[in-house]
Amino acid sequence: MSILKDMFAALKGAGNEMGEAIIDANAVRILEQEIREAEEAINKARQSLTKLKGTEISMKRELNSLNTDISDYETKALEALNQGNEELALKVAERIAEHETDREDKSGEYEKLSAEVSKINTMIKNRNKVIQKNKRELEKVKTIRELQKTTSSISTNFAATGSSANRVSKALERVKKKQAKWKDTMEAGDWMAEEGDVDDLNKELKEAGIGANSVTGNSILDRLKAKQGASA
Amino acid sequence: MDTKLEDLVMKLNTASTQEGTRFDAMLTDNGVMEVICSNNDEFPIHVAMTDTQILSVTPLFHINEVQEDKRVELNTLLLQMSPAIPLSSIGLQEGNYILFGSMALNTSFENIVHELEVQAENTLDVLEAIEELLQ
Repeated sequence: MSILKDMFAALKGAGNEMGEAIIDANAVRILEQEIREAEEAINKARQSLTKLKGTEISMKRELNSLNTDISDYETKALEALNQGNEELALKVAERIAEHETDREDKSGEYEKLSAEVSKINTMIKNRNKVIQKNKRELEKVKTIRELQKTTSSISTNFAATGSSANRVSKALERVKKKQAKWKDTMEAGDWMAEEGDVDDLNKELKEAGIGANSVTGNSILDRLKAKQGASA
Repeated sequence: MDTKLEDLVMKLNTASTQEGTRFDAMLTDNGVMEVICSNNDEFPIHVAMTDTQILSVTPLFHINEVQEDKRVELNTLLLQMSPAIPLSSIGLQEGNYILFGSMALNTSFENIVHELEVQAENTLDVLEAIEELLQ
């Protein structure tokens, strides 16, 4: 059964809305133990596999050399027959028979050994699957454990302050106020920057003698005189 | 390269984002990093690590803070909202509703910062949406 179902089955059964700590320390220990055992088993299997594989290879070599010998003797037996030396050919044939018996025994052993090697390989693969699955399960448990840590301090805080109504609303309001203030400051900054630009422009215009900015006593007197002249 | 919480604390305290968000990070007694993001300083994010992931958790409110006759409505609303929230999911942890994200251990610092900033923003969005169902 998956560990998630295990962990949360208790909750459902109890009809517990609150959700208590549900990490079963035992389940974690069992998982960790299974991982360790599977890893040990794999290590042992790998060691014996190395030995078996060595034997397998040397047997294969022996079989190959028997095969070569047999075909060698066969050629020689044929040659003896060609020479009409039946007696010698029979001797060679007897040697071939010995070798073939030997080959039969050895190839039987070899096949058994090969089967054993592939069985161990499959076993290692399966154990690896178990390890990977258990590690993922363990990760789920550890995630829940870390989650509990992240909320454990806050739940006491909530309990301490949570009795006051509208805790969340009040906090939201404070954040929103700060954000509004921050936005205002930003806008003020933009405004200041724009104003700065305008001032610079006016200054430049003034320096160039452009614009109606150069109001002086003389210019006003001139204007008045012109007015007087016009009405006279 | 794997990230360590101690390193994250150091880096976060001097980091700031394009949007101008700053971080105030510290390690708590139980080995969790608490991060206050300047874009939402009322709801700190708690960051923890497992063998394979970084978990960022913002506790939102306790189930006791929800109006008793509104709990089913709240749960439905949160489940509907969850897929629409960028980078964060909603969960329930020992009676606390949480907003959380999980990242691979080899997540770059830039992406962690981005995740935290977005999570702080998401917190406000979610709380605004369900505010009236609380006590």
